[in-house]
Amino acid sequence: MHTFNSIIALIIREFKINYRNFSDILSIFLFFLLGIVIFVFSIGENKEIFNEIGIGIIWTLILLSNNLSLRKFYQDDFNDNSIILFHISGLSYEIISLIKMIIIWIFIQLPFFIIIPLAVLLLNIETSNFHIIFLSFLIGSTIITCIASISGSMNLLNNKNFAIGSLIIMILSIPVIIFSVSLINVSDELIKAQLNILLGFMFFFLAITPWICAACIKLALQSK
Amino acid sequence: MLLVNNIYFKRNNRQIINNVSLSLSAHKIIHLTGNNGAGKTTFLKIITNIIELQKGEIYWNGKNINKHPFYFYKNFTFIMDQNTSNNSLTIDENICFWRRLFSSKRNNKEIDSILELLSLNHLKKTLINYLSYGEKRKLELSRLIIEQKKLWVLDEPYNGLDQISINLVNHTLLNHIKLGGMVIFTSHFSPDIPNIENLHLDNHAHL
Repeated sequence: MHTFNSIIALIIREFKINYRNFSDILSIFLFFLLGIVIFVFSIGENKEIFNEIGIGIIWTLILLSNNLSLRKFYQDDFNDNSIILFHISGLSYEIISLIKMIIIWIFIQLPFFIIIPLAVLLLNIETSNFHIIFLSFLIGSTIITCIASISGSMNLLNNKNFAIGSLIIMILSIPVIIFSVSLINVSDELIKAQLNILLGFMFFFLAITPWICAACIKLALQSK
Repeated sequence: MLLVNNIYFKRNNRQIINNVSLSLSAHKIIHLTGNNGAGKTTFLKIITNIIELQKGEIYWNGKNINKHPFYFYKNFTFIMDQNTSNNSLTIDENICFWRRLFSSKRNNKEIDSILELLSLNHLKKTLINYLSYGEKRKLELSRLIIEQKKLWVLDEPYNGLDQISINLVNHTLLNHIKLGGMVIFTSHFSPDIPNIENLHLDNHAHL
């Protein structure tokens, strides 16, 4: 019961903090939308090009936008020692990491479900595969959240070069991008197979992320 | 009872804690002293199992804290050198979070009287961001009363406090040990508390 109370307390706290700092989150979406607009201006009105590379543009910008959310994972709580307080209350670092991932997914990834259709409209992509786009994003966004969480916790170990965290996201996201982008253009028989591969990635990352993050947090505390 | 047995800790090829031992039982208060960089904060983090010790043993009521960390966590409050209250939340919201996080049995009336004592009651709805350092520190110290644990571990609790608040902290610490609690704290300031035991952190400190 005590652990349950602690989990609820942490979830409510994270919701309140993210809600209060919604302007930070809005800037992430603004970055995404401005990126789309810049692509539209730079490529012009060629519909065929957008049909071919549009999904790739969206995924690339989602990835870059996620880089902006790295600090939201552990850095602030690590700096003011709140993370120690959560742990002393009886929550393992794995549980803390899982809660952070869920909250970040809700605040950072979920709004993309509203913004992606807008991006599709701006890029003038054919909308017959909308459900596939959403499905791939649903799975892909979970994977990216896991990767961002790993990257955020690794950043605690290195307070000199923050760019390394972004590089980790970029490198680990390559398979997600390959399978998510190609989903739109493959034949119907291959869609299920590719979705299964993406699901496999998702479960793999969901299984390993809390442990990796917990190990990184413990290591970072050791040298703080 | 907390028993620390010959602990060692080395970081970046520097021996920070070298063979330190102590025992802390009910009605006892230990003041940890030492020069800057002597390893006072590190020592507190080791005895609270936040940093893993490299050599030695620590027991709480006969159980090794390394093997039973969550059993130990239920029994102490750790006031760290930094304030854990979140700047985006109000005093009320931070207290509400701590109460839920530690399943505190303190009711609203008791919380109000704590805040009244700390002269923070009128700031209940104020964001932490707008508080002074001293006010933030007092709020942090209110966790001692909210959590109701037996062992209090405090890292520089007097930092930023005015004389009235210092007296209040001293009175609270005395009251706690009178009721069977135990306290270990670090400070460069020597508080006016009777029967306090001093442990100077240097090589081979024992108490």
